[in-house]
Amino acid sequence: MSDTATKNQAPGQAASAASMLTPTQRMLREAWSKPSFKFGFFTFTVLLLGALLYPEISSIDPTKMNIKARHTPPLLIGDWSWAHPLGTDHLGRDLLVRCLVGLRYSVLIGCATVVMMFIVGCGLGLLSGFKGKYTDTIIMRITDAQLSIPMIILAIAILGVSRPTVPAIILVLGLSGWPLYARVARSVTLSEKSKEYIKGQRVLGASDWRIIFLFVAPAVLPPIAFVAVLDVARMMIFESILGFLGLGVQPPTPTFGNIIADGRKYLLNAWWIATMPGLFLLFTLTSLNLMGSALEGARNNVLRGTV
Amino acid sequence: MYLLIFLSRRLLQGAAVLLIVTFAIFTLLRVVPGDPARLIVGGMAPDEVVEQKAEELGLNDPIPVQFIKYLGEIAQGDLGNSFVRARSGSMGGAVAFDDPSRGDRAEVLDLIIERVPLTLQLAGLAVLFSLIISFPLGVAAGLNPGAWQDKLAFFAGSIFVSVPNFWLGIVLALLFSVHLGILPSIGYKGFEYTILPAFVLAIEMSPFIIRTLSVSIAQIMQEEFISVAPLRGLMRSRIVGAHAIRNASIPLLNLFGIQLGSLLGGVLVIEFIFDYPGLGRLTINAVLQRDFPLIQGIAIFISAMFVFINIAVDLAASFIDPRLEY
Repeated sequence: MSDTATKNQAPGQAASAASMLTPTQRMLREAWSKPSFKFGFFTFTVLLLGALLYPEISSIDPTKMNIKARHTPPLLIGDWSWAHPLGTDHLGRDLLVRCLVGLRYSVLIGCATVVMMFIVGCGLGLLSGFKGKYTDTIIMRITDAQLSIPMIILAIAILGVSRPTVPAIILVLGLSGWPLYARVARSVTLSEKSKEYIKGQRVLGASDWRIIFLFVAPAVLPPIAFVAVLDVARMMIFESILGFLGLGVQPPTPTFGNIIADGRKYLLNAWWIATMPGLFLLFTLTSLNLMGSALEGARNNVLRGTV
Repeated sequence: MYLLIFLSRRLLQGAAVLLIVTFAIFTLLRVVPGDPARLIVGGMAPDEVVEQKAEELGLNDPIPVQFIKYLGEIAQGDLGNSFVRARSGSMGGAVAFDDPSRGDRAEVLDLIIERVPLTLQLAGLAVLFSLIISFPLGVAAGLNPGAWQDKLAFFAGSIFVSVPNFWLGIVLALLFSVHLGILPSIGYKGFEYTILPAFVLAIEMSPFIIRTLSVSIAQIMQEEFISVAPLRGLMRSRIVGAHAIRNASIPLLNLFGIQLGSLLGGVLVIEFIFDYPGLGRLTINAVLQRDFPLIQGIAIFISAMFVFINIAVDLAASFIDPRLEY
């Protein structure tokens, strides 16, 4: 990482303390200086810790029914009781615990999907940009084709028939979201390939793979890192849409999608079943998106050389 | 001349993309489990009838053979008949296998064309709404980088992009249809049924428009021709209106071309929630019913639209800014 850093630096830049850092480190430092990033980061961390710990600590089982407590309204609307802060659903299950367990699946699927898109997309993009010629044409046309089918159609088509397990969902979402990564990786590869030092490596006798892994691949990471954070949020929305359509992780396991789909049936007597989990999800996603956008802004500043 | 070369090259590329899409969808549908022959004749039919139907439809042939046959039919403008839907519009799912109405299947092309106007109406209104929402936010942010307008646009964008569309649909239906009773939200019996779905779609699109507008306007305002414009005696409103926004509309057009795919994905889900009888609801139902010809037809239709709109976007961009090359 450190040798690409020195290469990426603008010539003539004073060797201040900040410029000793790699671009990635400078980007993180710049992002951290923004309140929106800090807010997003802390909120997301708290929610994530809550999702990991609370269902374990509290004695409430997310799937345990309690008909006596059914349709308990959330904290500020009903009685002033902390027993069920977000209320309960039509079977008396606690919505907070259900949301937190749903968040576990949502984050797991979101992150795993992005990792997969990243690997597939960057791999194909690197190959396409590096090999050029027919390989490039074929991969780019496949990318275009993939972009022209809404991924949700693909996902519904596949998950509609195969059993929607967690790995299946990750596979389907991951396979349908890679084109953007391929495009970015390709354009970075093209610009990196034409640089002098790569030509020098060639003269020194470096193989294609050595050049790709040691020099080109590290340059792909910074411009795409913020996309990955934003994409985790996007994939979490897709996961919830699939759950809502009944094609996500199946009940009784709670997910945001299936809680809301359930709650929709009781909208008139218990509006909070459908709205509260959505609000919870909205809050989580906003914190992620604030982080991602702050990273994007920081990256632009680093590229412009203002930091 | 340039125009001709550009058009023929793009159309050729588009045809390649369409071929890949067709092949991918075709193969995918035949690889995943679920027997369409069984679906057509109904669950109660004896096995011989299922077998006969599969033979009749050519479902027993190897996939490449089926694919070539299908391509031949498309070349003649025939997208085939639906497996499940009758011409009369009924689903036919529960009809006995020997019922005569089973033979009478709707043509895929008709089914699609019938739904297109409603979906276009929804998409058009949604684009209008999202421009109304995004323009003030995006332009104000672009003109005042770093100021509160910029921050407002940033936060609005971050929240809009985080809203799950199906949830927003439910909340708005609850508010406007159930509690206030102002707008209808289920089905379609007139123009007012388009408003709520279009608004949800608009919220889904607006973050991208706000972002693009604010970034490109901020960039353009730094340009020399803008900073000398006051010296030429131009009013600020004219500088922003005629110069900045005109130049910012090109990235906006490009964005529209790129985002079309996810826009269609949004249409799908929103039509499903609001039970809006457009292309999206048709697609979801077709997928859930394993109606192969219909799914294939819709996929080809959508990708063709995607290809054409992207060509149109590039053409329009070059008319707005003649400096751009095709």
